[in-house]
Amino acid sequence: MTPLSAPALRLLVLLAVLALTVVFFATQIPNYLDARLFNRISTSVAVILPVAVGQAFVVLTRNIDLSVGSIVGATAYATGGLLGAFPDLPPLLVPLVAMAMGGCLGAVNGFLVSRFALPSIIVTLGTLAIFRSLLVQFSGGASITMASLPAWVPAFAQANALSWEGIQLRWMVLLALAVVIVAHVVLARTRAGRQFYAVGSNPDAAAFAGIDLRATVFRAFVISGALAGLAGFLFLSRFGNITVVAGLSWELRSVGAVVVGGVNIFGGSGSVLGVLIGATLIDLIDTSLVRWALVSEFWREAVLGFLILGAVALDALLTRRLLRRRARRSLPGARPALAPSGEARP
Amino acid sequence: MDAPLLELRRVSKTFGPTRALDDVSFALRAGTIHALVGENGAGKSTLIKTVTGLHPPSSGSILVDGQEVRFRSTAEAQRAGIAAIYQEPMVFPDLSVAENIFISHQDRPPWIDWAGLEREAAALIARLGVALDPSRPAGELTLAEQQTVEIARAIGLRVRVLIMDEPSAALSEHEVGRLHGIARALRAEGVAVLYISHRLEEVFALADMVTVMRDGRHVSTRPRSEVTQAGLVSEMVGRDMEGRFARTPSRATGQRVLAVRRLGRTGVFEDISFELAAGEIVCLAGLVGARRTDVALALFGVAPADRGTVEIEGRPAIIRSPRDAMRLGLAYVPEDRRKLGLALGLSVEANITLPRLEAYRDGRGLLDRARERADALRFRDAMRIKAAGPEVPVGTLSGGNQQKVMLAKWLNTAPRILIVDEPTRGIDIGAKAEVHRILRDLAGEGVAILVISSDLPEVLSLADRVLVMREGRLVGDLPGARTSEEAVMRLAVGAGEAAA
Amino acid sequence: MTALRERLTSWEGFLLLVLVLLYAWNALASPVFLTLGNQVNLFQLSIEKVIVALAMTFVIINGEIDLSVASVMGLAACSFGWLHGAGVPAAAAIPLVLLLGLACGGFNAFWVVRVGLPSLVVTLATMIAFRGLARVLVEDRGIGGFPAWFNALGQKPLIGPFPFAILLFFAMAALAWVLLHRTVFGRQVTVIGASRAVAEYSGVDVGRVKTAVLVASSGVAALAGLLFAARVGAVRGDVALGFELDIITIVLLGGVSIFGGVGSVTGTVLAILIVLSLRNGMALANLTGHIQSGVLGVLLILSVMVPVFRGWFQRVLHRPEAVS
Repeated sequence: MTPLSAPALRLLVLLAVLALTVVFFATQIPNYLDARLFNRISTSVAVILPVAVGQAFVVLTRNIDLSVGSIVGATAYATGGLLGAFPDLPPLLVPLVAMAMGGCLGAVNGFLVSRFALPSIIVTLGTLAIFRSLLVQFSGGASITMASLPAWVPAFAQANALSWEGIQLRWMVLLALAVVIVAHVVLARTRAGRQFYAVGSNPDAAAFAGIDLRATVFRAFVISGALAGLAGFLFLSRFGNITVVAGLSWELRSVGAVVVGGVNIFGGSGSVLGVLIGATLIDLIDTSLVRWALVSEFWREAVLGFLILGAVALDALLTRRLLRRRARRSLPGARPALAPSGEARP
Repeated sequence: MDAPLLELRRVSKTFGPTRALDDVSFALRAGTIHALVGENGAGKSTLIKTVTGLHPPSSGSILVDGQEVRFRSTAEAQRAGIAAIYQEPMVFPDLSVAENIFISHQDRPPWIDWAGLEREAAALIARLGVALDPSRPAGELTLAEQQTVEIARAIGLRVRVLIMDEPSAALSEHEVGRLHGIARALRAEGVAVLYISHRLEEVFALADMVTVMRDGRHVSTRPRSEVTQAGLVSEMVGRDMEGRFARTPSRATGQRVLAVRRLGRTGVFEDISFELAAGEIVCLAGLVGARRTDVALALFGVAPADRGTVEIEGRPAIIRSPRDAMRLGLAYVPEDRRKLGLALGLSVEANITLPRLEAYRDGRGLLDRARERADALRFRDAMRIKAAGPEVPVGTLSGGNQQKVMLAKWLNTAPRILIVDEPTRGIDIGAKAEVHRILRDLAGEGVAILVISSDLPEVLSLADRVLVMREGRLVGDLPGARTSEEAVMRLAVGAGEAAA
Repeated sequence: MTALRERLTSWEGFLLLVLVLLYAWNALASPVFLTLGNQVNLFQLSIEKVIVALAMTFVIINGEIDLSVASVMGLAACSFGWLHGAGVPAAAAIPLVLLLGLACGGFNAFWVVRVGLPSLVVTLATMIAFRGLARVLVEDRGIGGFPAWFNALGQKPLIGPFPFAILLFFAMAALAWVLLHRTVFGRQVTVIGASRAVAEYSGVDVGRVKTAVLVASSGVAALAGLLFAARVGAVRGDVALGFELDIITIVLLGGVSIFGGVGSVTGTVLAILIVLSLRNGMALANLTGHIQSGVLGVLLILSVMVPVFRGWFQRVLHRPEAVS
């Protein structure tokens, strides 16, 4: 047995990078390592984490969901509006409603992508605009304000589960971590979860093994939408004020967290635990750049972009090395096709 | 004796006008290894697809345990206990061996117990007499190991009929031995193994029964003890020997144009040496997996060789890309029209002018469309291409006419050395004769031609010389006028050596 | 006769019909729509997008995609502003910015052609990165005060009622048409998109063509970014944010296949006119920018489904030939 599997090694490397980043900024920024850093980053990661986890399901199947930012905004707004109209809704029901709404939007993506075999990046680029414009249409450009919400909504984002020496562990953070754990168990320990990997790893073989490709891809988009809906609720709870730009460009941050977290952009491999670290790393860099005197905080976006590119290039390199080892005999362009062309794809 | 495990009764399969399987009947019994042999295109692959539910039969019936079945998918066939593995394994590179084995097991609990899964996988693999770590990702395995994973997947499904389609074609000698061990282990467990191969040595080493197919028809099924190598070869070829095709007189050939010396590419082909003279047609014969196309791709620079030398007209030639090859006067007409040969969505004329597009620049640097059109029309008339016009998309033409357009495309570069790969596969008799006529005319004009063909009558009617390849090596150089289909086939399947 | 019929029943013919209907509808709905002033204005407001759409036509026909164009536009505009702020004269800044644009394209091409990553992924990452660099340059400021002659290029009519950018667009459209349909390069772009393997087997230098297309895409985007700076007279970090949606929508609507190999400049120009008059019509009807984007999103999905519709259409009309 090899001492460590490749995915485990990947997680360790990510953790090391995270630790090094913390150490680096600790030497650069006075009073860096304090309770406030933990509190700030944990709450801010908690809101984006469900989105990134959902994105991971989609990316595992060789697709991408660019519409999640708009789903976050739309569900945050719709949930806020709903609470304004029915302030007595039972608190436990509200996140479920938000998830249901997000899931419906995700189903639209999933239907278009899986039913017509359209490229997901184009479809979700379209729905990115469509969902946002729905939000604008229904809001009429007006904002949701804290005042219109029942008191428990903003209180939820502030509520601590644990507090120790100024370090606060919010319920919201626990909820996001619960999402990660459930998703991890589903992906790592259930047959239904493994199908996401199978479809992304080798779609032809998956079809041969009797896995329903369309249904699996559809499911991934619904999960992504539902978790973006949950994030919409957390967003509402944390910020209280919702405008038409809520969740704008979150799709890029979620893709960033997923890819930096070691989920292969070409599908088939990666873990949600990596996504957790990836999201934390991105947020940490973001937050720290703001406080770093030497470099402008405006480097945030550029750093994110180059991080994604680097992670993808690394993945491609690793994948290629694997393939070289495997297919030492087959030639590019001269691979014997198993099924006649036109059979596998309509 | 009880009912056979799997029986085919008068099974036929047609694709449009083509009859891929014609009235095939034979039976497979439990605990036997049953070899299926035949030339390329004898219908073996169609047979597998018909039995495993990929292509339901057009007529006739398939029986399992004496009960008629009709599969609509491979999953259904698997449930009935029939599975197939192919030369290129169908594995999930990112998933572990254990997971690859159990991925299609619908009856397992929804929760995965990884330790248990790996234990079961290890047990299955052990039954095959192989050592393989079940926790390794399948992408890291060799081709042979991936095949083992597929076989383990099949027996994990309690498959009773396992079809192996040319499983040894891409394996090393050592790996083939291990594969045979697996096949025997399966036989001992009562599985019926249908083993498709064209290596006769393998057939004689392994099989209990041997079935021969030819031109989509069943020829014979006999116990191995009752067949001889010579008998098998003649049944596989099976035509009346005296020329149904007019044999061309050997042309007086001109100067040596191409000399290939000790060409090799690691793991693909080795030690290939031959020469080609102006006006000569040399055929390269061999079976699937003989690596003939790979030699052509090396000469044309698509997948360059890593050893050996090539001389063109006496000068050493370095060919690293198709552009290099074209500059040196080489042209390669690939077998796969749809993927490599023609841009089907583009017009006939755009395809014909593609390899020498630069030559159609006019004084202002723009494309001279009138000249493109004129050349396309010239080829259309010379080669009798039936197309509504040079501007229609090539994809709308029939297969035979597409083949001619592909030839025209490369003749447009006025090559001195032309390599054509399976130039008449899948086209009708009339078009085939015309392609042959075109090739002969070209040779008459002094072009040196290398034809890769699996169609033995074609080889014999075209060739001045026949080169035979087997498993990446050149095993024969026969004069075209004095050879026979049997002689070529004996070399191609390695019958001579096994008999010795 | 058949050629004429084919042309009328082609996608371009359909687009022309849609365009005529749209113009008629808009003209009936608003009396100002057909005035020359409004038509110039309609072009003027989106001129940067439509110029980039011409280059994007080549990219997508080539079988690639460039999601980073809007960020390159932003980066170009912002670096112009930054150079201006640093005291570099505009006449010197313009070539520098154009060079920067070409370099961005070279960066994309390196990852796509050399490393072999899908352009979709590469340009998604550089879309974020280039935008980030733009923000680094101008931070949260707005930079203006460009020389009058520079602003005039974007704002003042040059010949008759037409400003420089519109004239440039028509010149570039003509050039693009010639390049795509009448040159060796254009043919190679199309063949590579139709089948990369066929192009390689035919001796086409696929890497060189792909590099040229991606570099040109960013170069044109940088030019468009400069035009934006001239038209608005000031730059900010969010210049051209989200423009890739409009640009890709236009190109796909114009009949360019997302899988490459199919498309024409005529189709793109017709799609440009359709999208512009649609936007103009919506603006005249007082719909906000977000709603307009939503309509474009619907249009984008419908246009990527064009092959699906075409497939249904053909299945109804012609029985497919059996190909074994």
